[in-house]
Amino acid sequence: MKHDPYSLTELIRNDDFIAWVRQPDEMNEARWRQFLQQHPKKKQTVESARRYIIFMGEDTGKAQPTSEQSEKMWKAVEKHLRGELVEEQEENEEDTEPEPGNVISGWRWVRIAASAALIAGMASFSYWYYTNQPGHSDQFSLYANERSIEKLIEKNNDTDKPMLVLLPDGSSVVLQPESSLSYVNTINAKTREVTLKGRAFFEIVKNPEKPFLVYTFGLATKVLGTSFLIDAPENGRDIKVEVTTGKVSVFSLDDSQTSENRINSTELKGFIINPTEKITFSREDGKLTKTVVGVDEKKQENDISSQSFMFDETPVSEVFLALEKAYNIRIFYNREQMGSCPLNATLVGQPIYEKLSVICNALDAEFEIKDNLVTITGQGCK
Amino acid sequence: MITSDTFILEPTDQQLWSGIRYGNEQAYTRLFERYHRTLYNYGSKLSGNSAIVEDAVQEVFIDVWRLRANLTENVTSVKFYLYRALRRRIHVASDKFPVTEELTMLPDQEIPSTYSNSETMLIQSESNSMISRKVKEMLSQLPERQLEVITLRYFEDFSVEEIAGIMGINEKSVRNLIYKAITSFRQSPQNFLISVLIFCLLVIL
Repeated sequence: MKHDPYSLTELIRNDDFIAWVRQPDEMNEARWRQFLQQHPKKKQTVESARRYIIFMGEDTGKAQPTSEQSEKMWKAVEKHLRGELVEEQEENEEDTEPEPGNVISGWRWVRIAASAALIAGMASFSYWYYTNQPGHSDQFSLYANERSIEKLIEKNNDTDKPMLVLLPDGSSVVLQPESSLSYVNTINAKTREVTLKGRAFFEIVKNPEKPFLVYTFGLATKVLGTSFLIDAPENGRDIKVEVTTGKVSVFSLDDSQTSENRINSTELKGFIINPTEKITFSREDGKLTKTVVGVDEKKQENDISSQSFMFDETPVSEVFLALEKAYNIRIFYNREQMGSCPLNATLVGQPIYEKLSVICNALDAEFEIKDNLVTITGQGCK
Repeated sequence: MITSDTFILEPTDQQLWSGIRYGNEQAYTRLFERYHRTLYNYGSKLSGNSAIVEDAVQEVFIDVWRLRANLTENVTSVKFYLYRALRRRIHVASDKFPVTEELTMLPDQEIPSTYSNSETMLIQSESNSMISRKVKEMLSQLPERQLEVITLRYFEDFSVEEIAGIMGINEKSVRNLIYKAITSFRQSPQNFLISVLIFCLLVIL
């Protein structure tokens, strides 16, 4: 009998198979679906192998600590953390106040004083650091909030330029002038929800488990991950939703019973809008009308919703320029080293964070985003 | 005009790591929160004494903070680092073998490729509950090192290469351990009994 590389025991040990069961992605999903199509007889074996892997994972992961044990371990660790902090400060005080009786002459004294000052400086710097987290890394400090209070955040764009708003889940919103967006600052909620007054373009991180909802007066727009434009002027009659990529569903909120269900389900129900389609919701009679986005519709040249972000051997400097205009941000990078690197990418529909990740990945560079400033560091292309 | 104070993507291990290097306490808290449970879980496969495991987990984290200034900037995998550190700690604490253990006692025999001929014994149409029970039984009887490998591979999702690094053995030995564990499914006494019964029946008929 021939050795079968797809026998049960072989499958259970196959690295790619394990990856497919434990961490499925598009690539391995496609590979193993194809395998099943080509070997329909293996269906049972594949199913069994899957279960073995899943059960082995479940079973070997059961010995986790109780919450009391967790608490106990953290207390011990935390004590050390705090203890060290206190020591550092005390040390610092001792060093800065040399005892009067001590007489140290010449250079030695100067050297000791200098190092004492250095230690004092370092200690106070680190103390400052612990007490002033937000200045340095917003990302981490916000987790503290998450535990205590869920803050309602409201962003008003009272400037005359578009404003980029970065949401807790990594999605980005370009808020137009005289518009406002509010949301609860938490990443733990079941759904991601924002309320919009005015006009905004959304680029939403894909997460099938957590639908993203935009409330605009009487209309809810629900997506799983896509990009779209909503225009809901405060005193206008109609609300418009226009899809750039992906699918969006909308439903009116007057019938609270059904809308509750629609909000909570992870499926897209209600009125579905596809790319290049547009829906108009009349606030007067609650009617929804679907139209195809006309080519002739005038939009501002740099309006983000009309941009395709398709780059084919495009110099990075041009790519950055397009992003700067679309999001109204400033990107700092070494133009000499990086500016002429060619880039191939289609970045339509992705939040700014993902766009920058893709670009930086291609450039082997790193980026940092803070306020409206993006800093990119890297060696450039060879 | 842009606001970024609301930007809280789930930070990666690497981001937490560099936060810790700069003395960011919240990054440290976050890392503890992320890994202490599974570290404990892994530790419990190495020592049956929960006090030793608890201590070891604590010490691994205390060390990270204590040595934060000297942590390597570009650690390839933070998770890998933590698990390897925990394993060393527990082995030192339980006085099992010297830290520099290089396991050569493991026979590096080639896995016979003809072995899977008798594959048929692994019943392929088993129900969920049967597989679940079988897995549980098999795992409860596994020698410690095989259980350790299975935990790292199928629960922690470490690659074979990483497991080799954590356990201080070569990749082939890791694969051997996995193979032995998995083939013990078929060698479980009940299966053997069933096959003997079937065999007898066939003979009698």
